Amino acid sequence: MRYYETLYIVDPNLDSKILEKTMTEIEQELSKTKSKVINHRVWDKKRLAYQILNHKYGSYIILQFEVGDVTKMVDFDVWMKLNNIVLRHMTVLLSQKPEIYEEGNSDDGKVEQKRVSESGEKVPSLPESEKHEDSETQSSEELDIKEEGE
Amino acid sequence: MALQTKKKFCYFKENGIKEIDYKDVKLLRRFVNDQGKIMPRRITGTSAKMHRKLVRAIKRSRTIALMPYVERGID
Repeated sequence: MRYYETLYIVDPNLDSKILEKTMTEIEQELSKTKSKVINHRVWDKKRLAYQILNHKYGSYIILQFEVGDVTKMVDFDVWMKLNNIVLRHMTVLLSQKPEIYEEGNSDDGKVEQKRVSESGEKVPSLPESEKHEDSETQSSEELDIKEEGE
Repeated sequence: MALQTKKKFCYFKENGIKEIDYKDVKLLRRFVNDQGKIMPRRITGTSAKMHRKLVRAIKRSRTIALMPYVERGID
């Protein structure tokens, strides 16, 4: 079986209702390819490395699924491209079956666990620095608002 | 006196990383310079196999705006 992952960006200021509606729409569209959704969740709100349609920030949403009909994936890709709410998307083939995501067990934590198990104690821990990174993004966001205000 | 050079090593081999995730920006940042260019493996010491995987991961993260194509270096 083939497992795919679609990562897409939406406007971070979207209403939660509209976001939920969009996510269900995407799942409905994906069901046309007879795919089975494994994970569909909001990953994080991040500052984009470059502006997309004048957006500096974006909400990243991860959709992992087991594909049914591969030939219909092209239609799904086109549909995603034409969807106005989705700023950008990318689908990649996964090398192995993704783990089912449970709340409170972050994706980054998974990466960390994997590294520790494979390498012992060589790799320094990430979470603290990442927390710091988050605070940086928030502060930069505030700065941006101030700049715009000026 | 002969110059003592630091021996290069493959970061991924050393840490037992077999697959590189394009979402792990913190890791990928180690292998690009200030301008956002991918560093050659003669400098980083990455093995050929892992360098190919690394390049793919960096290009993917650029596509989805996790990493920049071009970043302004220090003036």
